[in-house]
Amino acid sequence: MADRIMQEIEDEIKKHKILIYGKGTKAMPMCGFTRETMQFFDRFGYPYEIIDVLPNPAKREALTKMTNWPTLPKVFINGQFYGDTDVLEPMEKKGELEPLLKEAFKNG
Amino acid sequence: MITTDTLTDYIRRAIPGAAVSVTDRTGTMDHFSIRVVSDLFKGRNLLDRHRLIYNALDQPMKDGRIHAVEIKAETTDGS
Repeated sequence: MADRIMQEIEDEIKKHKILIYGKGTKAMPMCGFTRETMQFFDRFGYPYEIIDVLPNPAKREALTKMTNWPTLPKVFINGQFYGDTDVLEPMEKKGELEPLLKEAFKNG
Repeated sequence: MITTDTLTDYIRRAIPGAAVSVTDRTGTMDHFSIRVVSDLFKGRNLLDRHRLIYNALDQPMKDGRIHAVEIKAETTDGS
C-alpha cells in the first residue's frame, strides 16, 4: 500500500515539471495558500499541475514523510521539492527561480 | 487560537535567542505571518530553516491552535 503510494508520487513528480500538491482543484482551490501558489505560477506562464490530496489522507501523510514538510501546498519543480511560496518568493527575488524553470522546460 | 507570546516561546525553545515577530493575518489568532531572525540559520537553506520553525511549532499545529503560518526566516545580516 505504502509502496504503491510512493510509486504514484514518483510517477507524478516525473510527469509534471511543476507540480503542486494542494487542497482543492484548479477550478476550485479549497485553501488560500493553494490559490496563492497558483497565482504565483500563473505569472511565469509555464504549465503546472495541481493534485488535490484532501480526499487522500494516506497520500498526504506519505508526502509529509517524504519531504519532511508538514504543510500543504507542496511544490515540486523538475522532480525536486521546493516547499511552498514562502521559499519560492525569496528564490524569485534572488533570481534563482527563472533559471530553474527554464532548465525544467528546456526540452519543451 | 494561541497568543503571540506562547507562539514566540515555542520558536525560541527550538531556536534560542531568535528575534520573532508575529502578525495575526485574519484577526482570529490562528493564521499567522511569522518572521524569525537568527544566526542559527547561517549555512542552512530556506527549506531547512522553515523545517526548523515547523518542528518548533509541531505541537500547536497538530492540536489545531495554529491553522496556518506564513514564514520568513533570515539571518541578522539579512541573508
